[in-house]
Amino acid sequence: MGVVCVYAFPVPEGKSGQQVVDSLQKQVELLGAVKTGNFSVDCETYQANTQAGTLTTTPQRLIHVLHNSEQPASCFSVLDTGTTLIADVLFDVLIHKLTSGKAGKEAFYQQRKGSKMESKGPRYELSDFIIKIGSVSMASNFKGILVEVEYSPCSVPTECWNLMRELMQSFMGNVAETPPTLVKNKMDNFYLPGDTINQYLEHFTNFRKQTVMGQPIR
Amino acid sequence: MYMDQLNQAVKGGIAPFHEYLLQGSIVDSSKDVLVHRLRGLCDNADSNPEAFHDHEMIFSLKGSPQQQPMTVYLRHSLIQTDCWHLRYVGSTEFGDKTRQTLVRSCVDIGVSDSIVKFLNEIGFKLEYEFVAKGYFFHKGRMKVTVSKLFKMNIQGDVNNIDPLTLSCLVELSVVVPTGQEQVGEDMKNFAEQLKPLVQLEKVDHRRQQQAAT
Amino acid sequence: MQKEEKQLEMSLESMIQRVSELKNSIGALIFKLEHEYETLNWPSLLDNFALLSGQLNSLGRVLKSDKVPSLKNQLLLPLLLHPDPDENLRKLTEGRLLFFNHEIAPNYLRTKLEPEVEEKTQQLVTKAQQTTQEQTQKQLNNLNKVTSNLLDIINSTREEWDNESSQKSSQPQTSSLTDTNALVSATLTGKGLKSNRTRLPESPQAGMQQLQKIQNPSISKAPSSIKTQIKAASGGHPYQRT
Repeated sequence: MGVVCVYAFPVPEGKSGQQVVDSLQKQVELLGAVKTGNFSVDCETYQANTQAGTLTTTPQRLIHVLHNSEQPASCFSVLDTGTTLIADVLFDVLIHKLTSGKAGKEAFYQQRKGSKMESKGPRYELSDFIIKIGSVSMASNFKGILVEVEYSPCSVPTECWNLMRELMQSFMGNVAETPPTLVKNKMDNFYLPGDTINQYLEHFTNFRKQTVMGQPIR
Repeated sequence: MYMDQLNQAVKGGIAPFHEYLLQGSIVDSSKDVLVHRLRGLCDNADSNPEAFHDHEMIFSLKGSPQQQPMTVYLRHSLIQTDCWHLRYVGSTEFGDKTRQTLVRSCVDIGVSDSIVKFLNEIGFKLEYEFVAKGYFFHKGRMKVTVSKLFKMNIQGDVNNIDPLTLSCLVELSVVVPTGQEQVGEDMKNFAEQLKPLVQLEKVDHRRQQQAAT
Repeated sequence: MQKEEKQLEMSLESMIQRVSELKNSIGALIFKLEHEYETLNWPSLLDNFALLSGQLNSLGRVLKSDKVPSLKNQLLLPLLLHPDPDENLRKLTEGRLLFFNHEIAPNYLRTKLEPEVEEKTQQLVTKAQQTTQEQTQKQLNNLNKVTSNLLDIINSTREEWDNESSQKSSQPQTSSLTDTNALVSATLTGKGLKSNRTRLPESPQAGMQQLQKIQNPSISKAPSSIKTQIKAASGGHPYQRT
């Protein structure tokens, strides 16, 4: 596992998301990157089932369940407290048990309506770099663009940040001026798959907030 | 094909695996004889039996009376301390007399070490815990464990322990994808070979649970 | 006279039949030993020997039976000796005997043991005759003593074995149903595992503590309420590894 940086790439006024994605792809291809398939990162959010009147027993926690096609056998669960659990993909079965009532019984958690978010798009390889250009959608509405760059031979951000910045700035410009906050906080530590998931979750949360602020509250 | 089935099961939230189970016990003084016999009967007879030393924690989530309580079994290896294993088992089907073993649906999940914190934070509470020490054997897809159970005198302290009984729990189990009934036959035959040392049988879990409440 | 001849003929026929049976079984055994020695097992070899011994017995019975005239009274004399190969004889003996000449005939028709064997027997007989009655008695007694000793040893060992196996069957049980039930219910319901721990009553108080966690940190130290422990002192979690 290398070091991964995920950036939200702004969509300027007057341009469609698809246009920006296309131009990013073209630039990456010009750099010599080879397309090696598609990727996706998805996130589903669950909250405590308040209808059952269980305020005292079930804590008011949000559970974000994420999957990353780069780690297809794993299921990532992040709580709003920051606790991150990495489990086998079968953990989904358990989440399902938590969120479905049976035989007239209420479930402990329920899915947040319309909260499913996904970033998906093409995956490129450029020697030791993996570049992913994802279009973010929430309930099938386009929300923005996330660009992920991984430098695979190295696990400690300090060691490779300059190299990564050079590559990233060559097609993303100023967006990649500083490391993402999460990476910045652990420059000298080993980078782990859970960190990537948390970067995505942070971006997803931001996109969701923008939606809530941009629209009248229903 | 298999992955498709799995994905479907995962999406549907149906446990894709069934565990076939027989249980019994052996008194401590005869444990070595049993271990010796198992070494001979099982695979890898020429190597030493695999030992384990686990801390098992049972968590459950109990809500209001309108909610069905949910219990999960968490095992933490005290030898390979980064190994955490979470298990959910469905209710046990005792079945009729023609069925050779207990059958229950189960989900086995490898998890990271943040699991205890995670479970606590989403509302699970530790119900009870114990330490299990013993040996593990396999023969084909059959798994045999001989485990000594210890109760813990102080919560969370895996070193301050006392044996629960003067016997070891012996379990013979097979986990297979749904719908493979014939494994019961194989297990019964294997159990037959351990007699009269150990009587591996269907233990009625419902009766046990009722007795406990 | 004719009657006797007929009888002789009949008994000869049955003897030939028995002998050829015996010969066939020996042939089969030799064949087995030569060709199937890799797969041959002890029990089947024993079976073969049992067959041979049975056939020998029945041959002996035929020889002893009343219907067979005493063969000792019969004369057999060679009428024709020939130095050339005899095709008929070869067929009769399945290729074992080609000639019936001066060299072979005495060997086949002899009624006494071979000279060396005869000599050895003679030696043993004289030796036996030399010993006095007393010595014989002594030796006999010795032999009896040794044999009875041996018998004693064998018997006592057998008794020991019998005891052992009967002990095994009546040995204290190696498994106990009570323990099985105790262990299974411990894993399933925690029976016997929770007993000597003080547990605070469950909800709704547990929930109340959660709400009071800031005002009253002392309650959150209660050992069994995990949730409050986490809340109040997330750094000091019992399972967190440093």
